[in-house]
Amino acid sequence: MSAVASLRRVGLPRLVVHLSVLVICIIWLIPTLGILVTSFRDAGQIAASGWWTAFTGAAETSAARLGDPSTAKQNGATYVITGSVFEGGKGGAVRAFGTRVAAPTEFAVGKAADLGDGETLTINEDGSYTYSKNAPFEGRGKRVYLSVATPPSFTTENYRTVLTSQGIGQSFVNSLTVAVPATIIPILIAAFAAYALSWMEFPGRALIIALVVGLIVVPLQMSLIPLLKMYNEIGNFFGVPSRSYAGIWLAHSAFGMPLAIYLLRNYIAGLPREIIESARVDGASDFEIFVKIILPLSFPALASFSIFQFLWTWNDLLVAMVFLGTGKDQLVLTGALNALLGSMGGKWEILTASAFITIVVPIIVFFALQRYLVRGLLAGSVKGG
Amino acid sequence: MKASFWIGTALAALVAGGAVAQELKFAPGQDSKFNWKSYEDFKAAHADLKGQNLTLFGPWRGEDEVLFNSVLAYFNAATGINGRYSSSENYEQQIVIDTQAGSPPNIAIIPQPGLLADLAAKGFLTPLGQENSDWVKTNYGSGEDWLRYGTYKGKDGKQGYFGFPFKADFKSMVWYVPENFEEAGYKVPKTMEDLIKLSDQIVKDGGVPWCIGLGSGGATGWPATDWVEDMMLRTQKPEVYDKWVSNEVKFNDPAVVGAIEEFGKFAKNPKYVSGGVAAVASTDFRDSPKGLFGIPPKCYLHHQASFVPSFFPPGTKLGTDADFFYLPTYASKPELGTPVLGAGTMFAITKDSPAAKAFIEFLKTPIAHEVWMAQSSFLTPFKGANPNAYANEVLKKQGQALTTATTFRFDASDLMPGKIGAGAFWTGMVDYVGGKDAKTVATDIQKAWDGLK
Repeated sequence: MSAVASLRRVGLPRLVVHLSVLVICIIWLIPTLGILVTSFRDAGQIAASGWWTAFTGAAETSAARLGDPSTAKQNGATYVITGSVFEGGKGGAVRAFGTRVAAPTEFAVGKAADLGDGETLTINEDGSYTYSKNAPFEGRGKRVYLSVATPPSFTTENYRTVLTSQGIGQSFVNSLTVAVPATIIPILIAAFAAYALSWMEFPGRALIIALVVGLIVVPLQMSLIPLLKMYNEIGNFFGVPSRSYAGIWLAHSAFGMPLAIYLLRNYIAGLPREIIESARVDGASDFEIFVKIILPLSFPALASFSIFQFLWTWNDLLVAMVFLGTGKDQLVLTGALNALLGSMGGKWEILTASAFITIVVPIIVFFALQRYLVRGLLAGSVKGG
Repeated sequence: MKASFWIGTALAALVAGGAVAQELKFAPGQDSKFNWKSYEDFKAAHADLKGQNLTLFGPWRGEDEVLFNSVLAYFNAATGINGRYSSSENYEQQIVIDTQAGSPPNIAIIPQPGLLADLAAKGFLTPLGQENSDWVKTNYGSGEDWLRYGTYKGKDGKQGYFGFPFKADFKSMVWYVPENFEEAGYKVPKTMEDLIKLSDQIVKDGGVPWCIGLGSGGATGWPATDWVEDMMLRTQKPEVYDKWVSNEVKFNDPAVVGAIEEFGKFAKNPKYVSGGVAAVASTDFRDSPKGLFGIPPKCYLHHQASFVPSFFPPGTKLGTDADFFYLPTYASKPELGTPVLGAGTMFAITKDSPAAKAFIEFLKTPIAHEVWMAQSSFLTPFKGANPNAYANEVLKKQGQALTTATTFRFDASDLMPGKIGAGAFWTGMVDYVGGKDAKTVATDIQKAWDGLK
């Protein structure tokens, strides 16, 4: 009864909306979940099975090598090699074993298997084995195949590898040094420009707006060479290094500016004309209007753009590589993590763990600024006025 | 936020200040497999460069970067030069940006002679001179060929010697698991005919002979270019191969189409490839070798260059758990000899300085090669380096194959213009495996090439 009643209260269309949102959220979260689970598995597990199998302890078939013939002990006429098939802290319970890849689970554990040629092999559930022969062993250590039941296992080794790798702390600091000013500078400039373009009358205003909008579509890659050339010339002229933090702040500011001006102008132009005009009537200058009225009112837009710009500068690799350099002491976090993957890439365990490490700062920034986004736009100002 | 920025800057300044001298991996004078005399001689000859700076920029990252830095440490220790190596994921683009903008490193390390030829033609490289070219010619296995791959037209239109080869890759290899072969009673094939027979035998025994993976993100298709190049060398004369690279022999020439079809014999036979033909293009080249180690094995054979052991399961011992054989030649074409397909990295001077010249001199000492040989993933065609310095038998075998090859040819896709060798050729191969026929694909690639002219 209560289910029907609450359904009536919510209404069917709303229920459908909620359900769809829920489904979409889950679909969007699945890849992230996969990356998270993968980042806690070791390289061997990642190669062997998918992340969704990580929670069920499965029977895995694996290979192991018995001790080298040189480790054999002579016992009368028989030669015996003993040891454990589990090396280096790995564990599990052996269910069955075999000596041919075609039949990897031929023999039962705990019982001596006759391999012919006077050889017998016993492997116990705990992995210990006894391999004996009525003649000396030859060649290399014998390869055996095991069916091992392993409990689900997770490791924090990947995170340790990434976090303790050389230069990662330095690159974290470098990233912050790049991203924070590269977020603040363009916002300051763009806010002034946006105010001027929306509330100050001067000839050619529409043309400048069109130009700014047009610049949004220019790919920044086009300007890398000319810009760096300019930096080099300026650097040579003044005898300073051309690759510096000041350089990359300017580059990021310039690249972010068109979109910043466009977004902020749209927002600021939409503020109620009455407020600004009454301020003008009361004798406020443009600067006073900007500082006392426009800035507080447009905080949500500033906050949302700073999230954009911060994420972009934080995740950026290309601009940092070009304008800051690739040396060990100049690498930003993205560059340092990328270098960890090696020349050929493909190290999923490192990739996934680094993904979660880089994500931490943007998430903090997002949640810190998030509350400004949801705050009502004009609620305070109208009452106060 | 502001506070964290100031703290950050302060920290950055602190860390940057404390440069640490790198330790030498092998103590000089101790192990007799190293040519320590060459180290001491080099040290004595370059004592006057102390305190100079040298920047190197190249393709190696991660473990490879650590390995190269271990070699660089010897150079720094011997000369007192402060040599620093750096890399970037997009090093090909980065070197173009840096040279054009006028802030290049002293030395650029580039595995694509095609790219170096571009840079040389624009006048960004400093010629290495007659002395170095003569040295490579006499001291490298197939020296003539190596010399050719470092010789380009300069800005003045004259041929000059620009690229010094150091570190080679060996590509004509088929990897297998010796124990899987022993258990099934298979023998390492000595001829291409035997290799095809072996593949048929594996199919008959209910197995799948080959694992082929062409996937590589934006570079998907490149492993197939190695196949086609190897097949080209096994069906055509080396001169035809050279003309193919320079497009004197068109891409849709029957010789090239034939080589593509040779590759198709393996990759487009659904019984031959693990997962079926559809899986060839979609499997990542880093994942495909893992099929060799499946239980039961997903495949028995895998064609890939000398770098591939880094993608074998952790703990795999080369020589026991996995081994390779030379991709055999047709017994019916004995006149082609034993061609080897390879690649290598070229060192070029992008900003001349005495320290940069000294580094090229350093690459001519046996010790520069041996330090890397004794670690991993390094092959050298330098005949003066001690083969016993190789870290394991598998590397030694590859190194010998490289120095004794009758014909050495550089990976064609690295020599062709970038739009072909790193573009149309790759996508063409994906189309070919996807179902188009060799003639159509080759004609498409040729059209792309014509479009460049």
